[in-house]
Order: sequence, then structure tokens, then C-alpha cells
Amino acid sequence: MVQSSRITVVNYGLGNLGSIANMLKKIGAQVEIVSNKNEVEKAKKLILPGVGAFDAGMSKIRSANLYSTLDNLVRVEKIPVLGICLGMQLLAEGSEEGEQDGFGWIPCRIRRFDFGNLNESDKLKIPHMGWNTINIKENKPIFHKLDREDTQFYFVHSFHAPFDPAHNFSYATTFYGYEFASVIGRNNVIGTQFHPEKSHKFGMQLLRNFVENY
Amino acid sequence: MLMTRVIPVLLLKNGALVKTVKFGRHSYIGDPVNAIRIYNELEVDELVFLDIMASQGQKSINYELLRKIADECFMPLCYGGGVSHINEIGKILELGFEKISLNTWALKDPNLITKAAQKYGSQSIVVSIDIRSGLFGKRRVYTRASTKNPGDPLTWAKNAETSGAGEILLNSVDRDGTWSGYDIDLITEITANLSIPVIALGGAGSLQDLSDAVVKGGASAVAAGSMFVYQKKGMGVLINYPSKNQLKDFLN
Amino acid sequence: MARLLKSKISVLYNVMCTKNIFNDEPTWQEHWQHRYEQRQKLRICQRCVFDETIKGIGFDKDGVCNYCRLQEDLESQFPGGQKGWEDIIRISEEARKSGRNRPYDVIVGVSGGADSSYMLHLAKVELGLRPLAVHFDNTWNSTIATNNIKKVTTALDIDLYTHVVDNQEFDDSCKAFLKAGVPDLDIQTDLGLAATLNKAAIRFGIKYVFEGHSFRSEGICPSGLYYMDSKYIESIQKKYGTRKLTSLPHMWLSSQLKWMLFNRLKKIRPLWYIDYQKENCKAMLSEKYGWEWYGGHHLENRITAFLHTYFHPRRWDNDLRCIGYSGLIRSGQMNREEALTLLRKPPSVDLEIIELVKKRLSLTDEQFVSLMQLPKRSFREFKTYKRTFERMRPFFYLMAKWERIPWSFYMKYTAKDGAI
Repeated sequence: MVQSSRITVVNYGLGNLGSIANMLKKIGAQVEIVSNKNEVEKAKKLILPGVGAFDAGMSKIRSANLYSTLDNLVRVEKIPVLGICLGMQLLAEGSEEGEQDGFGWIPCRIRRFDFGNLNESDKLKIPHMGWNTINIKENKPIFHKLDREDTQFYFVHSFHAPFDPAHNFSYATTFYGYEFASVIGRNNVIGTQFHPEKSHKFGMQLLRNFVENY
Repeated sequence: MLMTRVIPVLLLKNGALVKTVKFGRHSYIGDPVNAIRIYNELEVDELVFLDIMASQGQKSINYELLRKIADECFMPLCYGGGVSHINEIGKILELGFEKISLNTWALKDPNLITKAAQKYGSQSIVVSIDIRSGLFGKRRVYTRASTKNPGDPLTWAKNAETSGAGEILLNSVDRDGTWSGYDIDLITEITANLSIPVIALGGAGSLQDLSDAVVKGGASAVAAGSMFVYQKKGMGVLINYPSKNQLKDFLN
Repeated sequence: MARLLKSKISVLYNVMCTKNIFNDEPTWQEHWQHRYEQRQKLRICQRCVFDETIKGIGFDKDGVCNYCRLQEDLESQFPGGQKGWEDIIRISEEARKSGRNRPYDVIVGVSGGADSSYMLHLAKVELGLRPLAVHFDNTWNSTIATNNIKKVTTALDIDLYTHVVDNQEFDDSCKAFLKAGVPDLDIQTDLGLAATLNKAAIRFGIKYVFEGHSFRSEGICPSGLYYMDSKYIESIQKKYGTRKLTSLPHMWLSSQLKWMLFNRLKKIRPLWYIDYQKENCKAMLSEKYGWEWYGGHHLENRITAFLHTYFHPRRWDNDLRCIGYSGLIRSGQMNREEALTLLRKPPSVDLEIIELVKKRLSLTDEQFVSLMQLPKRSFREFKTYKRTFERMRPFFYLMAKWERIPWSFYMKYTAKDGAI
């Protein structure tokens, strides 16, 4: 049974909105794609997509006049927010990729893949592109029915959130040369480095979990 | 662990799917929208669409069909065929495709790769290189574009990488549709000298072939046409894809 | 001109504003409930689930319908059991002899469905023949069907020959049939398959063609439900289509005569000879080959699913399930009460298939609904072979006797209208 809550997908000029909306509609959720500040501030549950560079993402959000609206929705209204790919990275404090600050809702900094410590033969190509599995570290509702051996998602990125066992914002990790955080979160905010909208039934289950359990 | 991607490559011609042998002898395969629906339900890793007519400059990009195709898919899609301008790239990505494949127009002006990569990110830009053996078996870049000699395959591949390509789709024209196995020597030569992923295409006829391209050739991903649209070599059309277990046994 | 425009606008307005059985599921559910209640007042066969609305039906003194008696006749002609098995063995021997020096002994038409998948198993494993699987791809295959064909042909190491129709031509023909206002949608697939089987047989020099029909599980199709022939398809296409049908295999009368008389192709329905228990066979196929069930007879193909679960029930008030259920009841494979219970609810429909139909035929919601509400017409208003078939009845009797055509063709197509 799908809750009839409205999912707001923010269009700030970057990201695969059509695919996200398609998948949400397929699971029976009510979707709206909005770009205007006045519409965004009415959101009750929000998805922040994004593909591209960190600074480009933050600049576009600011120039669309959405920064304070989004910040308010998260810190004050505390609505559930899901960041996808670049959208996940923007949830952090900042990134090695750019100069600007992120939203800082999750206390970590995004880093470039660095295989410097590995042997030559173990060095891997960047970006990390393709299907990979996740190791769930925190038992959260976003992972309902996804703790299966064959669960995999589609990744395409050159920067990542670090896995920090000392803190509990790394909800799941993925191995690519070393373990990095593929799902991060804190309170009402979650981010996935992978693209659920391009991950078949696994992505569908994850979005269904976001729609129904948050 | 990162899985090796196994990618069906579908050829579009006048709104229908076709398959070629050595880039000729077009055989009708079926309706693109229904085929996509099936591949989506079979949970393929990724799909590549190449529009033959648009690629030859005989037709313009069929955005309406691409929209219908993108609507059906919950996995990454790549489009190639006649893409010559940065605006076209933006339009196709907005429809729901993840990647664009550049071939002829990248050869004419490698700057297109650079501009596209800068605007949309390298991960969205695939440079497709068709290779054919000429006289004395020497491999050359095959193109219909009347450009200056693009050089040998490796030179052009390296140039594409430097220009900002995120991946190379390496296609052997000689092996296309023959089920005789990939051109491992060609693949090895390219993968050994590039740091970006190379997708092998042309000649795959069995799961063993897919494995060889990765293990012996060093390819990051494997693509095939005939294997995924026919039941067997020389037999009838049947959209198909290996099961997860088969992929595990042979590739991961 | 102004009046015509006004009436078109009015129809469009009505279509857009009114909730009806074509655009509103609750309205459809309510309609079905009402239909069910009305039908309780009708006379129904005491044995199967055909009621008096079935064309050509009659009831005997025991309240049993003539279709039941017809199936009884078939049952006595094709009793199954030891005799049936011996007959099919004999036919296989003939097929094997005729297939000597050829790559295959027999053609088996496949769709990915239960009946045809089972036939591949029967032909290869139980009868020891070398079959060639032949498939007519109308470009609307479901994933399950395609996967089933792959699994069964791979496991049994059987080659597959396919004819794929041009998707745009096929869709254009479907749209033409909808515009014509007739019930005969998807006959292109039935005829396309029949023609493809014949063409494959000739191409590979094979004389024997196995067709996957079973009267025990599919029942007897009432006359007048739908009509098919290639002349009919062409006449609809000429009037309502927008392109020539060059890739759709045709069953022109001249070709049929050639196949029957010159090529002497033998059409056999193996499932008529054996005790075909559908549920057992489905279970065996799943266990042995990983074959998957797709939810209902004929639902392995998306356009056929549209026909059975939406087009016929809603537009034509025909619930085609009662045909199969009646067949199963008569052969003891289904309980009559169970069938009546299932028929209380409307056929389950996958609304995504309706969206797919609109997408492929480039129809807006409003255009689709207005096609569903066109005045109802019949094949008799178009040029067909029907009269010719009727005049050639004695000839087709011989052809059926010599196994060149199925008996059902003789029974339905050569009889004058009204007779079975």
C-alpha cells in the first residue's frame, strides 16, 4: 500500500528528473517536479537529484533562489529529504571537487577516489561506473527488503562520501578499491550515491521505502 | 564488487530495430518499444541505441521515439547517431538518456567531445570507434565522414580520451554479426594504453566470448548485438539476455 | 459543415467529461456487477458455462448445450488414451519418414505459451522427433513469453525460426481494425502464425506441422465471435490503413490451395490425440525448463491480452474466459462452480497494457475512448472470402479428412451463417 504523500522532485537544472518521476509513478506515488521557490517551500517530502559537478550544483541552487528554502525545509520543518548522486553530495559540508560549501546537513566532506595506496595492478578506473553491491551498516527503513545478496545499484561518480566507522552517518558502504559510503544520512536526510531510478527493481524498492516509510 | 557490465546494442532504422552483418545486410528485428520493455523486464545492465539513418545523415534524430524508449527504462541508456551539436546532447539527456555516443562528428571536430564533457560531465560522453581491416589486414578507423585521416585506432582513442571522453565503445566492423568472437588483439591494444573504460563490441557469440573480452582483452564492459536478438547463430529473432547466474559464472 | 463540427465537438466533450467503462475502473466494476445480476436470469447450460447469449446455442432435453455435444463428438473422434497415443505415434513415424535427409521432421508453432511449449517437449522427448520451433513475432510479445521460448528451446536444443512483422505495419493494421468498428482485432497474429508455419515448412522441406490447439483445454469457440481471413485484412487496410502490409504473411486462398494440394502440408493437432491435462503439463514445464506462467490463456502476448481482458469484455460484452473454462469443465479439468465463481469478477486487466496500446497506436486518451464507442460493425460489411469458403464446402471437407486443414476451419468457415 503506497502512502498518498506527495513527492516533490526539485528541478534546479541538473539531473535525470524524468527517470525519477517515471519510477515514482510506476510505484504509485504522487509526483510533482518543481523549480520555483514558492512551490518548493510547500514540499512535504523531497527528492534532490543531480548529475555533474559540485560547484555547478550549488551555484544553480543559489541562482534559482532555493538555498534558504531547502535549508529551512530540512532544519526547521524537518521534512524527509532524499539526495541522489550529486544531490547526495550536496547534503555534505563540501567537496574536494569544488570551492563552495554544501548544505552541511551531513557532517562529512566529499572526496575524489584515491587509489594511491593500492598496488599498480589494483588501481581502478575513475569514474566508478556500473553495478555494485552495498553493505548495510545501519538498519534503517530505507533498506527494507534490500538486505539481499543480489541487491545492486547503478553507480557513476568520481567523488564519494568517506566511510567513517566512528560516526553513524554512513548508512551503507560499497567496495571500489576500498570501502566508501554509498548511502549516508542523518535524522530526516538521506543520500544515495547510486541512481535508484536506473537500478531496476532494487531502485524501485528503495524509492518505495522512501515513499512509504518516511 | 563492481560487476562487469553486459550491454545489448540495438540498431534503429526508420523506427524499427535491425541487425547488421559487417555493417551491411540489414535484417528486421522488431519494434523498439516492445524490445525495450522486454530488456527492461529482463533487467539488463545498460542499453545502447544507435540510429543508423541519423548516423549517416539521412534522417534527423527521432526525439519522439527516444522519449518513448526512455519512458520504458529503469536502467542506463546511451544514444548514438548523428549527434553533432551540444544542444542535441542536452535535449537527449533531458529525455532520460544517461549517455551520448559520438562518432562521426567527434572525428570531424574533437572539440565537440571537450565541450560536451565540460558541460555534461565525461561520464555522459562515450566516443564510439568503428574499426575495419584494410589492405594487408591493417586495422583502421572506419568512418563515412570525409575527414582527414584520423590515424590508427590507438591514436584516435587516445585523442578522444584526452579530449574528455568518459568511455570508448570499440566496435569491430569485420566481426559485426559474425558470432566469431571479439577481436581480442584490438581490444588489448586499446585497453592497455587508455585509462578510461573500454566497452568491447563486435563478434560476441557466446558467454565465453564475453568473458574473454574482459579477462584476455582487459575490457571494462562488453556489448553485443546478434547474441541478444537471435536465438542462435543463423536462427530466428528472439530478444534475450543471460540470466544473473550465467553472468555470475562467466563474468563475476 | 458547421453541424458536423458541432457534433464532433459534442462527442469529444462527452468523451472527455463522462466517466464510462473505458476510462474509469470503478464504473467498469459497477457495470460488471450489474451485468452479472442480469445474466442470472438467462438460461445457462447445465454442463458448461455457456448461456443463451452465445450465438448458435441450443439446449437439449437435459439442458445441455450443443457445444457440449460437439465437444463430445470430438472426444469420440479423438478419444485420447491408448488409441490416441497409438495414433500420434503412427503420425510421428510418418513425419519421421518424410523428414529423412532433411534437417527437421516436424514444424512446431510456438508462442511461449503452455500448449506450444509442451508440444516441443512432446515432439522431442516423448515422440523422439527433430522439431523446428517456428514463431510469428507480432512485436507485442511479453517478456515471459520470449523468455519461455528461450528456456525451452535452449534446454531441448531445438532451433528456432522466426518471422517478425514490421511493427509499424502491424500497428497500422490494428488501428485500422479499431477504426473499422469491428471485433476482429489481432486476427493478423492468428493468420500470420498460420502462414509462417506453412512458409517455414516449405522453406525447410517439412511436410508435418504441429499446431498447439487443444479442444479439451480451449473448448469450442462459438461461431460468429470473430472472423478472419486475409482478404478481410486487406479490405480493412485499404479503407482505414495508411500503409501497405508488405511484411505480414498472408493466407491468400491461392496460397492455401497450393499448400493443401501441391505441397501437401499436413496439419496435426497432437494435443487432440493425447490426454492433455494442462495443469500437470504446466507444472512439468516449470520444473524441467524453468517455464513461467503468465496469468491466463493467451496473455503471453500483449495485444492478445488487450483483446481478451479489455477489448472483448468492455466493447463487445464478450467474456472469452467462458470458452476455455467450458472446455476444461467438459474434459473434467475444471469444476463448474469454480468457473462460475471466477466469472463473477471481470477479467483482470493490466492497465499498463492499455497505456501501451495508446502509446504504440499514437492515440490520446480521448481518441482511444471514441474508438471504443464507435458504432458496432461486422465482417459482413467488408470484402472477405466467406462466400467463397461456403461454396467450396465439399472441397474443404476432403481437405479436413486428409488432414490438410483443421476440422475447426471446416466447421466454422464453410458453414452458412448461423450454423456451426
